[in-house]
Amino acid sequence: MTMFAALAALVMGVPLTLVITPLFYVVTLVIAQIINYFSPLSPEFWDTVHQLAKLALAVGDYFFNHKPIDPQALGIGIALVLVPGMVITLVLWLGLMALFRRGGVGGALASVKAREPNHHDLKELQLANVVEEMAIAAGLPAPRVMLVDSPGANAAAIGTSPADARIVVSRRLLDDLNRDELQGVIGHLVASIGNGDLHIAFTVTSVFETGGLLITLINSPFGPQARKTLWRIVRYLFSRPASDEARAAEAEAVAALLTRNLDTGENDDVDRLLDQTSKKSLWRKFLTLVFFPLVFTNLAIKLTLWFFSFVLLGPCMALLWRTRRYLADASAVQLTRYPDGLANALRDLSADNTAIPGGAWAAHLFVINPKGDTSLGQLQPTPNQVRQAIEAWESAGQAEGSAAVAALPQSPGPEEFARFRTEIVSAQRAAMQGEPQAIARLVAFAKVMSGGEAEDLFTQMPAPADVAAALHGDRAAIARLQALKPNRRSEPKKESGGLQSESMMSFHPALKRRLKRLARMGAHISLGAPKKKSPAAILIVAIFSLILAPLMLAMVSMMLLLIGMMIMLNLLMLAMWLAAIQAVFTLLAHH
Amino acid sequence: MPTTYIVLIVTALLVLFLIMSFNRLVALRNRVQNAWSSIDVQLKRRHDLIPNLVESVKGYMAHERETLDAVTNARTQAMAAGSNVAARAAAEGALTGALGNLFAVAERYPALRAVESMTQLQEELSSTENRIAYARQSYNDSAMEYNTAQSTFPRNMVAGILGFSPSTMFAAEESARTVPQVKF
Repeated sequence: MTMFAALAALVMGVPLTLVITPLFYVVTLVIAQIINYFSPLSPEFWDTVHQLAKLALAVGDYFFNHKPIDPQALGIGIALVLVPGMVITLVLWLGLMALFRRGGVGGALASVKAREPNHHDLKELQLANVVEEMAIAAGLPAPRVMLVDSPGANAAAIGTSPADARIVVSRRLLDDLNRDELQGVIGHLVASIGNGDLHIAFTVTSVFETGGLLITLINSPFGPQARKTLWRIVRYLFSRPASDEARAAEAEAVAALLTRNLDTGENDDVDRLLDQTSKKSLWRKFLTLVFFPLVFTNLAIKLTLWFFSFVLLGPCMALLWRTRRYLADASAVQLTRYPDGLANALRDLSADNTAIPGGAWAAHLFVINPKGDTSLGQLQPTPNQVRQAIEAWESAGQAEGSAAVAALPQSPGPEEFARFRTEIVSAQRAAMQGEPQAIARLVAFAKVMSGGEAEDLFTQMPAPADVAAALHGDRAAIARLQALKPNRRSEPKKESGGLQSESMMSFHPALKRRLKRLARMGAHISLGAPKKKSPAAILIVAIFSLILAPLMLAMVSMMLLLIGMMIMLNLLMLAMWLAAIQAVFTLLAHH
Repeated sequence: MPTTYIVLIVTALLVLFLIMSFNRLVALRNRVQNAWSSIDVQLKRRHDLIPNLVESVKGYMAHERETLDAVTNARTQAMAAGSNVAARAAAEGALTGALGNLFAVAERYPALRAVESMTQLQEELSSTENRIAYARQSYNDSAMEYNTAQSTFPRNMVAGILGFSPSTMFAAEESARTVPQVKF
């Protein structure tokens, strides 16, 4: 894993060569000139130096004019071009790791406003106990528990190692889950800590932060914002904060600044420089003109870096991280020996709002995607709930003396449920038309269902009182009826930041797949029978895929073309820089 | 000359294998011992909680002297059992049974269930029961890993020589295997 991260850091260094190599070249030339002044260097040395500057032109010659090229010189040239940028990035990455390891996790806790659990509250006492139990089962030191009072129901394990790991749980999660389900969720988090996921997450984050630092560095000549960030890092590096919390908070703030910088849209230093519409002095306009090639280089590097992290590195890391989530699920089952607990918890949470305000930076550490997961679709009601609902409906009908009660099968299937739903819908329609019998039946049904286990199946059902009122033209009741949505899933607020926004692919595996795996481990959970497709539907899908496949292919090739063009552009810039520097020095040498 | 080299290399590999087996087995043995001692810690925790429990229910359950005495006696016996593993396991088993009985009886006293400290104590005790179970599970898991490491080829040839012996696993008490009788 660390190897992979190091590789990623090295690759990130490649676009940096655009800046570093010319700089490196200039410094070498200047030093060589100075040495030359005191003791003349051999002409071979100058030859090699000049040849290196023309290397890009030689490569171009090879491609377009098929001129032979010396492979050894090419190898040395490429190494000289690439190595400085790579080494610098690697060093930066290692430095950042060391820097943020020192920071600890306190700042992260501050950003979600975590608090200590209250041991006089039964639910919170239970949470502390469950965490201890799972830590004993895993043979780990018990991680500290923190609570978040947020409207979302979610939980995460944060920290950099098992020694400083914390488990953060939202109060809402405690209220929504029973003890077994809570045990499953905590088992997942403790298992994740025991599997060493925190270290992996830390490494992955640091790679993305290195990308952010690179962008900050190359932005720093252009604007105050990047310089401010850099200054903050330097200050943090040498400061001796009074308390651990202050230091941790500062580390967190710096890390947040860095990951934000990887989003190209967030940094406006360069945009401001390019902005021609604003009123600027003639001098500033002149400066813009002079700096234009530099700005162009800057943009090219940033685009390449962003592309690399968003399209290549992000998805790779996301796929890797998903395997860790599956592993944590499996380990949780091994710890609790009860797959149903975790499976039911995931199933229940999928219908909840799972966003934790201030927690976007750690979205990948949560047990369930804070951005919500729609892979399960509409929740399938359990057989018990369906049975209850149908019984209530039938008894309501009987009381009004309408249809006779049909014998209920022991465990009603989806067909029964569908039939029951259509009956309710037709009754609602009749009620809308003012049929008193239907209204009475709906009222009776609502009375029986309220407070029952199956109640939340019908939250989107119109209240019969509203229906009756709407008939008499009550505007408020009509508005309430219209506000009912077919889907009760509340949309979580979108919050940017964290690793999730650095990748085009989510860091969380789809819930449906996780539940399928848990079902294979023995969880009794119904994911809904696979839908039988009609031949017509299959035909339509086939035709669509026939149309879409070439389109997808074209898109992929466009993307590859874009990457290729970007690399070519970068190389072109590099060649221009090298040629220009070489020309300047030749000119100097002639004088 | 080459034979000397071959002999040297083979000896070096053998020594390396011995060192690695030894270290792995020691690490596993330590884990088993750690898991074993964590069971002890949890049993001790249960002993410490019981006086509190008895104290807080005494007032409500004056008619259930026998049940309370059974719990107190079982605790005293379990604490007195000392290091004799078999005797101690029996005593702890008896304590678990007595506690289960106490909570079953407590269900009959609605006033008791409404007391906040009682619900908390009940949570603490049921958590302790869970902890004991998880500590045993953890012990069994690590013991199984330790035994497997000893008895698989090629380590099984050297485990005995290096002084490692398989550790015994926990089994459920005989009473736990029989289906409990529910009477009303």
